[in-house]
Amino acid sequence: MTIGGIFLFLSTQLAEGVNLHIRQTTQFKTVSFSIKFRAPLDQKMAAERAVLSNVLQHSNGKFKKSAEFRSYLDDLFGTVLYFDASKKGSEHTLLLNVETVNDQYLQKNKVFNEVLDLINTAIFEPNFENGTFVPSIVEREKEMVIQRIQSIFDDKTRYAQYRLTQILRPNHPASISANGTLETVKEITPESLTKTYQSMINEDRVDIYVVGDIDVEAVQKKLTEALPFKDRTPKQITKDTNESKPEKEYTKEQQDMKQGKLHIGFSTPVRFGDEDYAKMQIFNGIFGGYAHSKLFMNVREKESLAYYASSSYHSQYGLVYVVSGIEPSNEKKATDVIKEQLEAMKNGEITELELTQTKAMLVNQLKETLDLARGQIEIYDQYKDLGETFSVDTWKERWNNVTKEDVQKMASQIELEAIYFLCGKEA
Amino acid sequence: MKTIEFKQLDETLYYKKLPNGLDVYILPKKGFSKTFVTFTTKYGSIDRTFVPIGESEAITVPDGIAHFLEHKMFEKEDGDVFQQFSESGASANAFTSFTRTAYLFSATDNIYKSTETLLNFVQEPYFTEKTVNKEKGIIGQEITMYDDQADWRLYFGAIENMYHNHPVKIDIAGTIESIDKITADHLYTCYNTFYHPSNMLLFVVGAIDPTEMMSFIEDNQNKKEFPEPTPIERQFEKEPTDVAVKERELKMDVQKPKVYVGLKAKETDLSGEAMLKHELSVQIALECLYGRASDFYTDVYENGLIDESFAYDFSLEKGYGFALIGSDSSNPDQLAQKIKEVINNAENLLTSDSVERVKRKKIGFYLRALNSMEFIANQFTRYEFNEMNLFDAVPVIEKLTLQDVVEALKTIQGEPQQTVFKVLPSSERAE
Repeated sequence: MTIGGIFLFLSTQLAEGVNLHIRQTTQFKTVSFSIKFRAPLDQKMAAERAVLSNVLQHSNGKFKKSAEFRSYLDDLFGTVLYFDASKKGSEHTLLLNVETVNDQYLQKNKVFNEVLDLINTAIFEPNFENGTFVPSIVEREKEMVIQRIQSIFDDKTRYAQYRLTQILRPNHPASISANGTLETVKEITPESLTKTYQSMINEDRVDIYVVGDIDVEAVQKKLTEALPFKDRTPKQITKDTNESKPEKEYTKEQQDMKQGKLHIGFSTPVRFGDEDYAKMQIFNGIFGGYAHSKLFMNVREKESLAYYASSSYHSQYGLVYVVSGIEPSNEKKATDVIKEQLEAMKNGEITELELTQTKAMLVNQLKETLDLARGQIEIYDQYKDLGETFSVDTWKERWNNVTKEDVQKMASQIELEAIYFLCGKEA
Repeated sequence: MKTIEFKQLDETLYYKKLPNGLDVYILPKKGFSKTFVTFTTKYGSIDRTFVPIGESEAITVPDGIAHFLEHKMFEKEDGDVFQQFSESGASANAFTSFTRTAYLFSATDNIYKSTETLLNFVQEPYFTEKTVNKEKGIIGQEITMYDDQADWRLYFGAIENMYHNHPVKIDIAGTIESIDKITADHLYTCYNTFYHPSNMLLFVVGAIDPTEMMSFIEDNQNKKEFPEPTPIERQFEKEPTDVAVKERELKMDVQKPKVYVGLKAKETDLSGEAMLKHELSVQIALECLYGRASDFYTDVYENGLIDESFAYDFSLEKGYGFALIGSDSSNPDQLAQKIKEVINNAENLLTSDSVERVKRKKIGFYLRALNSMEFIANQFTRYEFNEMNLFDAVPVIEKLTLQDVVEALKTIQGEPQQTVFKVLPSSERAE
């Protein structure tokens, strides 16, 4: 239920380091599960866990062939079940997401209990052969992850962003991919992957989320049986120290392409959870976060330099990225216009309208996110660590309290650290 | 106001055709704080040859004009419409497809104000030579961005291969050269012809009271004047059933080859429940043959012919239709061969067991999708423009048989309807 914008998850501990969070709601026609396994982020473990998520997704002890596993999911009215690898700050997350149709919308069949059994199988009954994962499956899935890493090269926007983070924060969580690197993926063996699996099951911090029209007590009881995790003391995840600095301030690289990709990295001392966090969100909204922002209005609408020009605030790392696709010959002009927008904000050129618009957009974005089951899980998951009860009203008030001077102060703390320009060969 | 109940899905839809011809649909959603509104005209990139309203001779307008018009709707004499939406905390957007142009917003507050902004900005065109020319730089960069996207080039390359004449083979945004020819007069001609309320549909889904919202919309529309609705005459050249080009490739700066097998649809003249049944049958056939549980998938996966980019899809509208199946692949020729073998041998591969399984999966898909306001509004509009009803999909799927699926598949199955398009790494790439 929502009371004053507070989203209630009922949290219980299944074992030390393993927490279950349930939210009962009639909002959705489906029930969503999310099980998050967390461990410290480094290149080697990222690679291991990315391949592990693929291997667990491929098959398990009950369904040893991928096609059998997929057929069974189809039969459960297309229950969606996937493992994925992601990162947040200095933490690697291997997650299992499951979404299944609420039984009441099905005319005859009931699938909920079967889905719970399947979650147990997917996590606790791996497809082992002589005590390790099946070597041929491990090899195929390593190849899949390698292809995924390599596909970045074939998408110019993603590649330019990848290069910027490499240059801006070398050997730092900000530039470590949740998939690891080609080298670290290649080193994986069935034995190393089996060890990684065991440490995930026995040592990771685990959060389990359930959202849907369910009987809370019954689900708590069933999940306690379906997820027999043992007590663990999860490894402490240390915040990155931010000692990593760019190799150089300007880098230009060339490929066979038409458009120029201008990606700029800025730093801010303000991180998620800091007192100034709400102010930085407003700063970013006015700078380039929305269609009313300075970047959109000037780079695109006024100067016709680009189709897209925007900024994004990566609060876990204290970074702001600006991205734009331009005619290569306009590189200097576009860079100047982008810098001018920041300068204007440093000089206090921030209108009441820009503040009002940005505040309204932030509130709307948060409320819209909470209309999705996944959104409710992600927001609760992120904010629960702040040690306060999350509510829309609290954040609305924080944003509303932000003044023009606050935003100006945020702008004055922003530092341009690296410019990366990717363009065609003749430019 | 008409009320349509979908008992099994626990949904009630409200409908009214306004005196000016506008179709308005409202679907209230309990427990949500968001409302999503789309305002769509049945006008897309393929509508390039038509008789302008009030005239008798057909004209052909420059390619990319529907999309150009979509961009220009946002600019008014007093500034950019995005500014107004932002002030109300609404996220606004628009898109142009082959057959539709949609304007939309989502918001959790000030719904009536944003609905009014949406209705008014789409119904008050403002084009000048100056603003039109300014947009050419912006759209030019949009076109250039797509030109560099290998996946987009693959998609259009395959469609170009399939079609001799039909304008579906022309990129939605046009080319730098074609948009350069666009004038404010062109935009007014297209606007006046295709943006009449009788050619449009408004869909509201979310946290709203249907009666109040309906009268709000009616009041807004009753204040405006429109000419009498007249039928729109669109013209298309005759399109052969076989593909225009059997095989073609494009070199780009990519590391791994990409391939699509295109299957051109023979049956493109359906509408209503017949069309719904037909397209669901083809989709189910493709899922049985190429889905993750298929023998084909196991084979190409185990032999390293595909990666996670593998995909298949079927598109159908009046006048054109095609299936695309493909992946990034280190051996695109062998993969294309295997894809063709499966389609050529489909009668022997389809079983009632696999059809029944995929039917269940598809039913689950529709029930999950009904959590998404974006899906409901966009798909409902597309279905309605083809005289189908989105909420009929589940009951229609339940009734489908193996025979239906086999019959429907035949319409994309002939060898002359098959084409292959590849994007290959350019040789000069230095490593």
